[in-house]
Amino acid sequence: MIKFGPGNLRIPKFERPVYVVAGGLTDFRKRYPEKNTCQLCNEALRMAVEENDLKVDPEQYRRMVNWCVYSQFADHFGDQLLAAAKIHDYLGFDPLGNVEVKTGGATGGTSVLAAAQAIASGYADCVPVVGWERMDEVTTKVGNSYIASAACKDFESELGWMYAAYYALMAKRYQYENNVPRETLAKIACKNHEYAYYSPFSQNPGKYTVKEVLENEIVSDPLSYLECCVMSVGAAVLLLADEKTAYKLTDTPIRLAAICGGSHTLRTADRRHMPILLLPNENESTYKDYYGVRRKEWPGFSSFLAARMAAYLAYNMAGIKDPVEDFDVLETHDAFTISDVQTYEDIGLRPYGRGREFIESGDAYFGGRLPTNLSGGLIGTMHAVGATGVFQLVEILWQLQGKYDKFHGDPKLWQRYGKTKPADWRSLQVKNPKRGCAISHAGTGSHVTCAILERP
Amino acid sequence: MATDWPTSRLEVLNEEPLVVKNPKTWFHIHSYGGWGKFFKGLREKKLLATRCTNPKCEEKRLWLPPRTECPDCWHDMEWVEAPQQGTIYTFSTVKYPGELFKLPAGTHLISVELPGVCTKPMSWLKEGEPQFGMKIKAVFNTERPTNTILDLAWVPA
Ligand SMILES: [Zn+2]
Repeated sequence: MIKFGPGNLRIPKFERPVYVVAGGLTDFRKRYPEKNTCQLCNEALRMAVEENDLKVDPEQYRRMVNWCVYSQFADHFGDQLLAAAKIHDYLGFDPLGNVEVKTGGATGGTSVLAAAQAIASGYADCVPVVGWERMDEVTTKVGNSYIASAACKDFESELGWMYAAYYALMAKRYQYENNVPRETLAKIACKNHEYAYYSPFSQNPGKYTVKEVLENEIVSDPLSYLECCVMSVGAAVLLLADEKTAYKLTDTPIRLAAICGGSHTLRTADRRHMPILLLPNENESTYKDYYGVRRKEWPGFSSFLAARMAAYLAYNMAGIKDPVEDFDVLETHDAFTISDVQTYEDIGLRPYGRGREFIESGDAYFGGRLPTNLSGGLIGTMHAVGATGVFQLVEILWQLQGKYDKFHGDPKLWQRYGKTKPADWRSLQVKNPKRGCAISHAGTGSHVTCAILERP
Repeated sequence: MATDWPTSRLEVLNEEPLVVKNPKTWFHIHSYGGWGKFFKGLREKKLLATRCTNPKCEEKRLWLPPRTECPDCWHDMEWVEAPQQGTIYTFSTVKYPGELFKLPAGTHLISVELPGVCTKPMSWLKEGEPQFGMKIKAVFNTERPTNTILDLAWVPA
């Protein structure tokens, strides 16, 4: 779509407020033969219901649920069609209605959107969102091939069977247009691997130097292994409710102020040019020396229109004027370092062409103006695809409830996953955060959701 | 009647936890449908794109990969030969391809900019080292066609 009609940019609204009350995770591993998928989902659900200081016991919670949303990216991986039916049964929610959502890498975000729609409309009061992915039944090479079947199979997948390569094409173009140094991209990888180091859930933690990232083996030029997301097994659960139910469940519910979705062509190749869709913190003059001068095409290969659409709708829905000022914590879908820089611009943290400044200024770090991916993100902690968007919101929820330390600093939790809490562990709890945002993202930007959580 | 136990079995890879190997050896019968003309065109060294035939449609852009229906008005499109000379819009050398890739690791992937075409189709560079804006021309695999998009490649012009 190039020209917007009157209906296309309508700002979504909820008919009644939607709340998030609790979250649960498993740890994330490359291979997890010890537990089957039903067990992993059960473990994440039990953490959500039993370890989030809810005012009801598990039996009472089960009796309050009236609709369930399931989030899994690829039936290929799990090798079980209708997996949601099996998991729903094993979680003991039969015969309640449920739906399984599929929007690629953004499946988690879209699943939360679907749950929010059910609650906001009055269809349901109490909805668990259960996300998972089991990516260890095949070799990594076959896994990459499965993921690449989420590119266009007729005209693109054969060209590498590797999503990192499709991002690498964008990375090269972005670097060419915006002159972003490799060191800046490497810094994002260092940051997220380090934050993963403080998380008991993480799969690929580590304290790396920029030099180590740059000297790391290349997957598809210019992206190195340490700049790409992990391939994980694990689950994540988020509990949503209407206001009345939320306060029955907890004294500290967090309001879902907005969650909106955008889309764009599956093939990056097919993205036609259009005027830049402006966010509330931008105006015509923002791009007078840029668009049409330094840069000829938007969104082209360097920007995600889906992310811009999602942010445009969500910011207007939640009354966000300036994301860096208004958000206290952010989770981006850092599948690759390059897509993170692109997203900084799409969601208005910096104007187009200046995304690098968000990381170079220190804004993105713990202690900075908008700490980003304190969870460790997809690069450091997890990308069990169907669980990812749910995981992001669980981490934002815990930040807003002041529970980062509870869920990351307890030595017993580290032990549960067979790990030892590092002696140099540090708390990444943001001080008194009011508002958080999470971006869930698919394909090379085929679907994106933007969710905004706010302390009431 | 009596039925004997199956003769095929799943190989045990690990006892605790019990892990078995589940083979998958079948194939998919895939039709290119209305896009088949494009792939057949490659056999004749033709690069076939499509353009909307609706006189009321605003954009008369050339689509490659082709679409059989216009995304702007849903009208039928007509087949038109696209230019076979263009430039490299972006590129990457894939060092670690996924399973099923029919070309070697180290192949240069490229996105191609062609005059009059509204897309930047993904393809591969068969000869030379890629550079931004490098002039290239299409070559076609008529020797041993794979019957995939790989039958189109580019070389320096
Ligand atoms: Zn048309």
